[in-house]
Amino acid sequence: MKKIEVSRRKFLQGSVSLCVYASSAMAMPLATTKTSKKNAEDVPYLCNMCRNKCAGFARVEENIITKLNPNHYFPKSRNMLCPKGNAAIQAVYDKDRLKYPLIRMGKRGDGRYRRVTWDEAYEYIKDKLVKIIDEEKDNRSTVAYCNGEGFNKDEYIKFFGSKLGSANFLDEGSICLNTKLGATQLTIGDVGEMDVAGSDYMIISGANRYESLITPDSVDMLHAKQKLVVLDPRCTMTAIKADEYLPVNPGTDLAFCLSMIYIAIKDELYDKAYVKTYFKDFDKLKKHILSKKYTAKWAESKTHIPAERIKRITKEFFAASHPLYYLGRRSVWSQNDFQFRRAMVLINALAGSINRKGGIIFGKPFHLHEEEINEPLYSNTVDRFDLDGIVYGSQKGGSWLNFREKIVTNTSPYPVKAMFIRKHNLMQNMPNIEKTKKMLNMMDLVVVLDTMPSDTAVMADVILPECTFLEREDMVVSFNRLEPSLALRNQAIKPMYESKSMQDILKGLGKKLSVPLFKVSAKHDADLQESIKNYGKEKAFTEGGYNMTELYKYDITTRNKKLITAQFGKKVYDSLKKRGVWHPYIDTQKEIFNNYYEYYPKEKRHYTVERNYKVHCYLKKLEKHGFDPIPAWNDHYDFKVPKEAFRVITGRYVTTTQSATANNEMLKDFQEENYLWINNDVADSLGIKLGDSVAVMSSVSSIVIKAYPTNKIAPQVLWLSHGFGIHAREMTHAFGKGASDNMILEDKFEKIYGCATMHETNVTIRKL
Amino acid sequence: MARYGMALDYKNCINCKACEVACKEENGVELGAEKHRIWVGGNDPKGEWPLLDIASAAFLPSQCQQCEDAPCQEVCPTHATYYDENHVVRVDSEKCILCSYCMNACPYDARYVDDRTMTVDKCTFCSDTRLARGETTTACQNTCPTKVRTFGDLDDPNSEISELLRTREHFSLKAHLGTNPKLFYLT
Ligand code: SF4
Ligand code: SF4
Ligand code: SF4
Repeated sequence: MKKIEVSRRKFLQGSVSLCVYASSAMAMPLATTKTSKKNAEDVPYLCNMCRNKCAGFARVEENIITKLNPNHYFPKSRNMLCPKGNAAIQAVYDKDRLKYPLIRMGKRGDGRYRRVTWDEAYEYIKDKLVKIIDEEKDNRSTVAYCNGEGFNKDEYIKFFGSKLGSANFLDEGSICLNTKLGATQLTIGDVGEMDVAGSDYMIISGANRYESLITPDSVDMLHAKQKLVVLDPRCTMTAIKADEYLPVNPGTDLAFCLSMIYIAIKDELYDKAYVKTYFKDFDKLKKHILSKKYTAKWAESKTHIPAERIKRITKEFFAASHPLYYLGRRSVWSQNDFQFRRAMVLINALAGSINRKGGIIFGKPFHLHEEEINEPLYSNTVDRFDLDGIVYGSQKGGSWLNFREKIVTNTSPYPVKAMFIRKHNLMQNMPNIEKTKKMLNMMDLVVVLDTMPSDTAVMADVILPECTFLEREDMVVSFNRLEPSLALRNQAIKPMYESKSMQDILKGLGKKLSVPLFKVSAKHDADLQESIKNYGKEKAFTEGGYNMTELYKYDITTRNKKLITAQFGKKVYDSLKKRGVWHPYIDTQKEIFNNYYEYYPKEKRHYTVERNYKVHCYLKKLEKHGFDPIPAWNDHYDFKVPKEAFRVITGRYVTTTQSATANNEMLKDFQEENYLWINNDVADSLGIKLGDSVAVMSSVSSIVIKAYPTNKIAPQVLWLSHGFGIHAREMTHAFGKGASDNMILEDKFEKIYGCATMHETNVTIRKL
Repeated sequence: MARYGMALDYKNCINCKACEVACKEENGVELGAEKHRIWVGGNDPKGEWPLLDIASAAFLPSQCQQCEDAPCQEVCPTHATYYDENHVVRVDSEKCILCSYCMNACPYDARYVDDRTMTVDKCTFCSDTRLARGETTTACQNTCPTKVRTFGDLDDPNSEISELLRTREHFSLKAHLGTNPKLFYLT
């Protein structure tokens, strides 16, 4: 058993540094525990180490999780767990975990906290919130809240958005994939799903499916009989495994796409019958593309992909029976990102690869019933402001960079004074970390809900320890469209230390806040005053929906049982409890080879569904706002790097999920720190060798990182993985290892979805 | 009683390390980059940017090759290294005296010292964990995202591995040494 140290001295002073943990009777397994020869309990759960949510079974021996195994019932995850999924045990038993509610004692960022009871933490939050909301005359949007985890997001929004009433919710979408979602939605009316397994010819631009695994795509790609073409400025594992790899200048994939469209239209390679039936404004598209002369030669000048290859690949693509231009999903690269994603959708549409096998399918997802709650109407609440100046933007998750900019420049229409941050490492996840720090420092109240300390947690006034995903049950989730299924995360072990599930945290908070915040409303809200006059305080409170714990009348197990049995029956509920998964063919699914299953019989998959939709070539709203209504190239999209400078691009290793896995003791063995990829010839000429320390300087700041000279990257490009360079000493394995990309990335964002553009920073370097 | 072997569709290996983590968690292998029962060897694509020969890159999942004629077993002075009833090469930690003869004898560099048990250790096909409790496959096989690994009984003509070895070309590592590995690399 690992020794647990106690710092008595620090306790006597009444403050506990985050990294000191009190002694605990809790069994702390060794970093790895050999599984026993006995049979043990296998609890079905869903992995949360990244966004995929693969299904697994947790082997639990005497209340300790000793092994995680893949769950073969789940169509989405194809019976696998990746290295991170396997290493999730280390996340549960990480000795640096947040264990108790904490209240800040020192300065923000210095990590000095005092251990408090849950009630004290809630009380503290209540006092602050009452004051803040009162000062803002019941404008609930003064409390911003954010969440970086997919699961429970909607429930979190119900609490802070519907019940507490704030309009300012932010999520990872604007530093991730909103341009892709938007481009697909606006072009074909749905975000769809890509049928990778059914495609016989696939082009991928930049998405690194063999290092940034997405299920089932990453699994299916290697087994589908398909030609794979990969465009990337870096020779990734995905590029290596491709049939053809096209090195491309960063940010110029749009030029490649425009040229594909040009060739398809000019040489009439497109699916005429499909275009005739489904396209709206095809004539405009045709006229625009042909008049712009996006020839292969032109595209070569932008992308540096030889024209002949562009021509040949375009021909092959349109001649294939199920071609797919894979839309990818990851951080936004450049100002043209939305247009680039849209051009990919248009290429698929020109090939007729929409709503059919091997294309972007609509499918038939299961729609789970919503649990109804009563939402109060706050008449003094003002709307969000982070989408001002953004053409579309996500009404749900907003725009982080625009939000932060308006806060730090004091140009928001009202002050945001409090922030609730759940599993969202703001201090690492967006470009220009100093600005994020400034924003947090402007808050009167910062509350962090998380499992681990982080650069963001140490900025909090109150830290509420959440349990990990293996210590809780979550609400049932519906997955996928082609082979839809339901999956349930069951609880493998009880929450350790004093951590709680999000639901229990919100329940406790709601109990504390409901009445005091109602009183604040009653003081400022004329409509509520009226209703109190008419119906009395009590009725106005209950019927007005001011009880914030309404959703938590029953515990999560009861809620799941009620919801699932009411909609799908007991059999489905039992399957979810026992197997973690349900799909209609679960009893007849069969293994077709070595761990690879057929779930839905081919004829039952929802490749094509009845749907009235159009492919929109022309978006009027864009034109109104001064943007190209049809994807086009603008001169400022050109890849230009001054002499002696480099363009920085980012990504991640197969063993890391952004900064969330930074402290994982198992995973750090594979990648303890990140390295700067630099072209080997360039490195030679600068005298830089493997492992040499290099300073990387941008207009924002500078970092020091070790060099990795390689032939797998272009001369003017540098790459480093995101998720390293953690500043919080409380993460003992991660602290000081490698460097953070967001220290040097310039905080630019595109104006169609308000997404941070991560690949537009030029830097210089110096060998140290 | 079986004669266990593994066939590796190594061209599908994406060097993701899921197998390595699964192995460590299942078998309680110590942390630390030096301590591993399985690893992936490989080489980057040859050529100079932008003319890279992606087909020249290869990733070879490696571990104890479960030799039928194991040099490690031959040299062990205390008979700590032995064949179990399933033809798996095992190490008896009671008998191991850490003389390290086997580590030097192994042509595949498959062995390392476990500092906790003070035994020379290596891949056991999960014999004293999964197989001991009646499961039919190893941790690495079970988790591999791209289904590189097929595990099974070479003596059973109907097993998936026997079928694979009948129908697909394959090779062994350092075949010229006559160790007769029970790991097969499918081409
Ligand atoms: S891909 Fe890996 S980390 Fe992500 S959910 Fe699946 S097993 Fe977990
Ligand atoms: S690979 Fe090495 S350790 Fe394994 S059986 Fe052969 S000689 Fe022994
Ligand atoms: S799990 Fe499979 S793909 Fe990943 S490294 Fe191991 S053998 Fe290769």
